[in-house]
Amino acid sequence: MAPTYNIAMVSDFFFPQPGGVESHIYQLSSKLMDRGHKVIIITHAYDGRTGVRYLTNGLKVYHVPFLVIYRSTTFPTVFSFFPMFRNIVLRERIDIVHGHASLSNLCHEAILHARTMGLRTVFTDHSLFGFADAASILTNKLLKFSLSDVDHVICVSHTCKENTVLRASLDPLMVSVIPNAVVAENFKPYRNPGEIPKETFGQDPCPARPLGPHDTITIVVISRLFYNKGTDLLTAAIPRILENHPNTRFIIAGSGPKAIDLEQMIEQNVLQDRVEMLGPIRHEEVRDVMVRGHIYLHPSLTEAFGTVIVEAASCGLYVVCTQVGGIPEVLPSHMTVFAKPEEDDLVVATGKAIAALRANKVRTELFHEQVKSMYSWTNVAIRTERVYNGISGAISEAEFYGYDASDPATWSATRGRSGVQSFALIDRLKRYYGCGIWAGKLFCMCVIVDYLIFLVLELWFPRDKIDICPDWPRKTVDERREPGVR
Amino acid sequence: MAPPLSTLSNLPPDQVTASANASPHHRHYPTLVRSSTLPTLIPRSHRSDPSHLSPEDAFVSASPPRRPGLFDGGNGSGSEMGTRRMRPKDTSRSRSRRRKRFQKLLWVKQSYPDNYTDQATFLENLQRNPRVQPYDFWPLVADSTTIVQHVCSVIIFIVCFVGIFQERVSPVSVVGWGSFGTFLGWLLWDWWVGQEPQGNFDGVPRIREFRPPRRQDSEAGLPTPNPGTPSVSNTPALISAASSSTNLFQEHQNHHHQQQSQRPPLVGQDSSNGTSLSIPGHSHSRSVSSIHSVTSQTSGGATPRTAFGTEGYRDGAPWPVPPSKWGRTQLRLRAFKSAILIYFTLLGLSPILKSLTRSTSSDSIWAMSFWLLAINIFFFDYSGSWVGVHKFPVASLSTNAALMASTVLASRLPSTGQVFSLTLFSIEVFGLFPVFRRYARHRSWRYHVVLTVLLVMSASGGVGMILGCEADQWKNGLIGTVVGCLISALAMGGCSWWLIGLQKYKNEIYGPWDPARPIIISRRHWDDD
Repeated sequence: MAPTYNIAMVSDFFFPQPGGVESHIYQLSSKLMDRGHKVIIITHAYDGRTGVRYLTNGLKVYHVPFLVIYRSTTFPTVFSFFPMFRNIVLRERIDIVHGHASLSNLCHEAILHARTMGLRTVFTDHSLFGFADAASILTNKLLKFSLSDVDHVICVSHTCKENTVLRASLDPLMVSVIPNAVVAENFKPYRNPGEIPKETFGQDPCPARPLGPHDTITIVVISRLFYNKGTDLLTAAIPRILENHPNTRFIIAGSGPKAIDLEQMIEQNVLQDRVEMLGPIRHEEVRDVMVRGHIYLHPSLTEAFGTVIVEAASCGLYVVCTQVGGIPEVLPSHMTVFAKPEEDDLVVATGKAIAALRANKVRTELFHEQVKSMYSWTNVAIRTERVYNGISGAISEAEFYGYDASDPATWSATRGRSGVQSFALIDRLKRYYGCGIWAGKLFCMCVIVDYLIFLVLELWFPRDKIDICPDWPRKTVDERREPGVR
Repeated sequence: MAPPLSTLSNLPPDQVTASANASPHHRHYPTLVRSSTLPTLIPRSHRSDPSHLSPEDAFVSASPPRRPGLFDGGNGSGSEMGTRRMRPKDTSRSRSRRRKRFQKLLWVKQSYPDNYTDQATFLENLQRNPRVQPYDFWPLVADSTTIVQHVCSVIIFIVCFVGIFQERVSPVSVVGWGSFGTFLGWLLWDWWVGQEPQGNFDGVPRIREFRPPRRQDSEAGLPTPNPGTPSVSNTPALISAASSSTNLFQEHQNHHHQQQSQRPPLVGQDSSNGTSLSIPGHSHSRSVSSIHSVTSQTSGGATPRTAFGTEGYRDGAPWPVPPSKWGRTQLRLRAFKSAILIYFTLLGLSPILKSLTRSTSSDSIWAMSFWLLAINIFFFDYSGSWVGVHKFPVASLSTNAALMASTVLASRLPSTGQVFSLTLFSIEVFGLFPVFRRYARHRSWRYHVVLTVLLVMSASGGVGMILGCEADQWKNGLIGTVVGCLISALAMGGCSWWLIGLQKYKNEIYGPWDPARPIIISRRHWDDD
C-alpha cells in the first residue's frame, strides 16, 4: 500500500480567477485525491468567495482573508499569515505544504511557516524570470529566501528548471521537471459533422479535410494581447501572411492593451473580412474557437510551458510558434513549425505550415490521440507523488537523488542524515545565512522571529485545543489501472 | 558522436560542458543558442568558453554576482559539493549503456527520474555577458570630457556669483564678457551652419522633429492617413516657428496654445522653434520661457499631437520652406530680435527677482541652490548624439533646475543691475552654452578639446581666486589652475580606470528564459521594449 499524504496546496491564484496556475492546482489536486491523498487548497479571499468551500470530490478550499495589492497577489507581511496557517494545518493534519507560483506571496509565507512547524514543503514554479531588471532582482531575492529551505521544487519545463536553479541557487537534484498537462477530453478535434456548436465562430462552420489547394485555411490565435505575448509580432506579420497566401484568414481571440494595435492594423490594411477578432473568450470556449481553424499561431516572447499550444495540438491544429522559453520542449516536431521571434521568420514559418497543410503532409487528425498519450494529469499526479515520497522518506535517498547515501562525503547541510532536510533551527539558519551579505542576516532574523512566533502560538493556542477536522472519505487507488510510470 | 561519458567525467567540469557543446546533439528541434555566431569548429577538449556554464556553476558561482568566499555553508553548496556533484553523472554513466540518451523534451517518456540533471545539456543555452563590449581607456577619458565641461561651466557660474556677491567683480564685466562670448559663439555657429550641406535646410531632416515624442502605447503606432489637414496645420507651424518669442509674449495666442498642448512646454517650443530659427536666438527664448512655462503648463490633449506628428512624418517634402539664403538672413534677424526681447524682459523682471526671496534666510537659499545645481549636473544630457542642427539637447529638468538655482541666487543680490547680470549670465551658461558645446563637439574634436582645457583652467583659476584673499588673487588663481588641472586629469583618468576595473564584476546572464526581443521590420520605431 503506497503511503498517502495530507497535502495543502497554497497559492494566491485560484478559482474563481481564471488562469493556468489555477487550473494546474485544481487538476493536480483532484488527480492526487483520486490517488487516495487528502488535498486542501489555501488561497486568499476573492470577491464573493470567503470562508471554506468544497469543490468536486470534497476538495476543500480555504479562502483566507488577506489584503490584495496587485494582480491578486496578497500584501507581503512575512508573519501575519502564521496563526491562521497553523490553525488550518493542525486542523487538517497536513504533512506536506505545496506552494505554487513564484509571484504568490501566500505561497512563500506558507513555505516558511511550514518549515518552522516541521512540515515538508514543495514549491512549483510556473514562470520564467530574467535577471536584468530591478523587479526581477527583487523577486529573485525573495525567491531565494523562500527556497533556501524547501524540500523540493517542481518546474514545468527544463528551461524553467534551469531558470529556477539559477534564480534561487538550488541544487539541481532537488528540482524536478513535471510538465503541465491538458484534459484531452475537453480538447477534442472537430470530427463529427453532426456536431453543431453553440455559437458560430468564423465563416465556414466546418473546416474541410483534406484541404484542397483553394480551400480557405484558418489561422487561430488565442492569447491575451500583451507585449510579452508577442502581439506586436502578430500585428506586423498578419498583413504579410494574408498578402502572401490568398485563401487564408485569421481568427483572433483574447483581449488586452495591444488589441487596439491589431484593430488599427486591420483597418489600415482593410482586412476586416479576413481577420476576425472575437474579443475575450472564456476557457470553456477555447476549444470551440480552436476547432474552427487549421493552424494555431503562437507568437509569444516568453513562455514557461505553453499549455495553449498543447491544447491546440490536441484539437488537431498544426502549431506555428516562436522558439522561446520552454516551448521547444513541449511538442514533437511533426506537430509544430518553429520560428524565431522575428517578423520575417514568423511569416516564413506560417507559410511553411500553410504549404504543408495544403500538400496534406501533416496528419493533424492523429494529433489528439498523440497528445492524449503525452500529457495527462494522472501522469502528473503520479510524478508529483514520487516527489512527495522522496521528500518524506518513503523512497530512499539514493533512489530519489541518485547517489549513495551511505557515502559520508555526500552528506550535506542541505539534507540531514536521514536523507531529508533537517528541521533543526541551526541547520535552517545556515541555509538562510548563505543568501547574501545583508540579506542572509536579515533572512536569519526573519526565521528566528518566525520561530519565536511559533513558540508563542504553541503556548497561546495549544495544539490539543484545536479541533481536528473529519476527513472526506478517501478513494482507494486501483494500482492495476494506473501502473507507475517509472 | 559525443565522446563516451567516462572520459568526460575525468575532465574538469567546464571542459565537460564545452566538449559536450561541441558534440552534435540528437535533438528534435533546432536550438536557439548563439551557434550561428560561434565558430563551427571548436577544439574538443581545450575549449573553456566563459560564456557557458556547467551545472555546478548554477549553484556555486552563478546567479547574481557574489564573492566565492561567501558560499560556504549556504544552501548546501559548500566544499563538500565538489565530490558529490559529480555523482549523478557516475550513475548515469552506468545507465547510459542501457538507456536512451536523455533529451530535454517534455513530451517524450524518458527512463530518467524527474529530477535527473543531465550534465551535457543542463544550462547549455546559458550565456554570460554576451553583449558586453569592453571599454578602452582613452575613449573613456575622451568621453568624460563632456562631463568635465559641464561641471566646469557650473563652477564658473558659481564663481561669478560669488564674485558678484562679494563685490569683487563688477556684474557688468561678467555679463559683458559672457555676452561677448555668446556672440562669438553665435558667429562661429552661424559660420558652421553656413558650411553645413544645404540638405539640412529643406524638409528632410526636419521631419524628425515633428515626430511625436515616443510613446509606448499605440498612439505613436501606425500613423493614420489624414490627407485633408496637412496644408492647414503645416503653415501655422511655420508661423509659430518664425516667431520664437511667441511663447513669451503671447502673440499668436491660439497657436501658442496649440504648441503648448502638443508637448510639455520646453519640448514643445523646442520642436516648433527648431524648424526655421537660428539657434542662439531660439535658445534664448527657450531658456527664458522655460522659467515661466513651468508655471503655465497646459495639459494638452493627445489628439493634436498625433495628427500633427503624423503629418510631419508623412509628407516631409512639400514644406513651404523659404530659399535658404534668404532664410538665413531672416534667421539672423530673428535671433537678433529675440535676443533684444529677452534682454528687455530680463531688465524688466530684475526688480521683481531681486526681492523674490527676501523673507527666506540665506542658508536655505544656499542649500536649495546646491541641490538644484546638483540636479542640473546629474540630469544633464551628456549623450553626444547629434541628430541635426535643429535638434536640440533636451534635458528639461536639468535646465530648469539650473535656471531656478540662478533665480534664487540672483534674488540674494542687492541691486537690480547685479540681478539682471546674473540672470542673463545664467541663461547664457545653462541655456545656450550646452547647445554650443555639443555642436562644437559634433563639428570638430579639436575645438572640443580646446574648449575643455579652457573651461577647466578658467573654472579652477576662478575657484582659486575666490578661495584666496583679495590681495594676491592672481597668484591664487594660478595655483588654482594648476591644482584644478591636476585634479581634473586625475579624476578623468582615475574614474575611467576604475570603471574599466569594475568590468570584471560584470555578470549578466542570458538564457532561453529571457523574453525574446522581437525583430519587427515593418515598424521601424520599435525600440521601447
